Amino acid sequence: MRQVFTILWDSYRLLAAKKLFWIVLFLTVLIAMMYASIGFTPQGISMLFGAYEINNDIIVEGSMFADYFYMMIFTNYLVPWWLGLFALVLALISVCPVFPDFLKTGSIDVAISKPISRQLLFLVKYLGSLLFVAVQVLVFCAIVFVAHGMRLDTWNFEVFWAVPLLTLVFSLIYSVAVLVAVLTKSTLFSLLVALLVWAVTLSVQWTESLMYKAAYVMPASGISIDVGGGNASKTNQELDANADIVGFYNIVRKAAIPFPKTRDLTYLLKKKVSVRGNDMTMMSAFLADEASASDVREAKATEDYDNRHSTAYIVGSSLGFEVFILGIACWVFVRKDF
Amino acid sequence: MSDVVIDISDARKRYRGGVEALRGVSLQVPKGGIFGLLGPNGAGKSTLVKILMSIVHPNHCAGTMLGAPIGHKPTLAQVGYLPEHARFPEYLRGGEVIRYVAGLSGISRAEACVKTEQLLEMVGMQDWGKQKMGTYSKGMKQRIGLAQALANDPEIVFLDEPTDGVDPKGRLEMRHVLMRMREEGRTVFINSHLLGELEMICDSVAIMDKGEIVQQGTIAQLTEKSRRYELITRGSMSEGLVQRLKEKGFQIRHEMGQDFMIVYESDPEPIQPILDALRGEGVTIVELRELRQSLEELFMESVGAGGVGGSRKGSTPPSLPRKEAIK
Repeated sequence: MRQVFTILWDSYRLLAAKKLFWIVLFLTVLIAMMYASIGFTPQGISMLFGAYEINNDIIVEGSMFADYFYMMIFTNYLVPWWLGLFALVLALISVCPVFPDFLKTGSIDVAISKPISRQLLFLVKYLGSLLFVAVQVLVFCAIVFVAHGMRLDTWNFEVFWAVPLLTLVFSLIYSVAVLVAVLTKSTLFSLLVALLVWAVTLSVQWTESLMYKAAYVMPASGISIDVGGGNASKTNQELDANADIVGFYNIVRKAAIPFPKTRDLTYLLKKKVSVRGNDMTMMSAFLADEASASDVREAKATEDYDNRHSTAYIVGSSLGFEVFILGIACWVFVRKDF
Repeated sequence: MSDVVIDISDARKRYRGGVEALRGVSLQVPKGGIFGLLGPNGAGKSTLVKILMSIVHPNHCAGTMLGAPIGHKPTLAQVGYLPEHARFPEYLRGGEVIRYVAGLSGISRAEACVKTEQLLEMVGMQDWGKQKMGTYSKGMKQRIGLAQALANDPEIVFLDEPTDGVDPKGRLEMRHVLMRMREEGRTVFINSHLLGELEMICDSVAIMDKGEIVQQGTIAQLTEKSRRYELITRGSMSEGLVQRLKEKGFQIRHEMGQDFMIVYESDPEPIQPILDALRGEGVTIVELRELRQSLEELFMESVGAGGVGGSRKGSTPPSLPRKEAIK
């Protein structure tokens, strides 16, 4: 156990020595503070701690819509775009050299010649590198948690689900970088391959998501697509799903199974956090009383879209990918002569 | 514990690409002394040490280190190691490097802190322990490297080119540190090219070439066969005496008005009658001295004048390029 703590402590020291870590942390705190500056008044929304006010009839202090709006900014924008994309890319750039540097002759020799198994050394070093993202997201969530408590008077611990989820997202991409690093000892190559794999997985997930919308959400909203003519039309009636698009969607869905679900994991947060007893995927629960039948139908279709994959499928297939990639990397690390 | 801390036989290693780094190495290292492993570049010295440290997997290696099979991880808790071209994290301070290595060896934090202060003082870095590694000179880094090798209070310390990059004063201090380790009962295993330094401190040595041990023993044992006596005299000797000396195996040459006589004898006793005879003829005995091969001479005799020491299977080692050979 002492050896594990030693490696983790070294990982922390490594992070603390990286300027990029502090730059990203500063930006993270800045964005979180911007979020915390949003408040609600009886007239509408206030921004920058009351410096600006936007009048709104629905989103007002104490209303369910204000609660939903505040959480929605967190789950639909800040987490997927800042924490789940830009901060993650910066984290990857910062952490990618960890394994190539560790594997250099003269550096690896000392660690590997100690009474610690290569498997444990590899895994703890890998986990230590994930601290970069875990710390950033934890700080962000802590500010969001306090902001919710102060602004809405609800102390919602569920926002901290973002920490394991985003750390898992990062670990999926980073595992690819580690595998390439173990094989090539090249920082640049491992970064490029990791970004490439990430881009491919995002493309697959975006395709699957768009195909689902075209196959099910649009017909439910009364939108029909003429694939051959390239036209779309909208009615007030729910339409049947297009068999051709459904067939194509099923192929894409099956093709996506082995890929890590980075995007789906990020949006899984919507299922994990709730506002007034309803999780953030339950669109129909947040509709106004006077919502039309088509609004309700569209909301239900969006709910189905958000819940089309089970948590077990998203997490399970992602972990399967990670175990496979890390397994190969660990196997190579254990057998390699340094 | 036996008197031998490392006892290996038939260690073999062939790297991918066909380079045979070790071709059946057998080696015994006695306990509690300074052992030097010598050899030209590519002889397989570092590969052998890396196999003992479980950094390289051998194709075959029978034997033990500290009584445990080679590659037994828990045994490495009693072993210290300074690799060649050691690189320590630049973001750590000197003292933190020692504590980091102690931690990897399973030493408690409190014990590691105490040990760190002692070791920093031992290597003359007590005033620099709180500075980051990135600010150190090469020699200072090497001192920290030596200190970290002792962080776990090891029974055996492996040092691969420990004086690499260290200035003459630092080398002298390092020799003192090594001798102190020997006094403490540790076994020090050194890989080095600096034969003069090894000769000063090593109790025993092994010479490797082309993946094999070609000589092994104490320096006294290895140089025994080259032991000889040289006698310098002034004044003329009779023909009869010269004849007697030649019959007894003396090599005589005359230079600058003096006779130089060399006899290959391990015992000075047979020389005494010769001295009496020389004095009897009134010859002045200027000097009588015992001579042995230096370690460098022994090394050159053992490995010849070949190039790099490793070899590909089924091929002779590459010779130096013509331009290099002319140099």
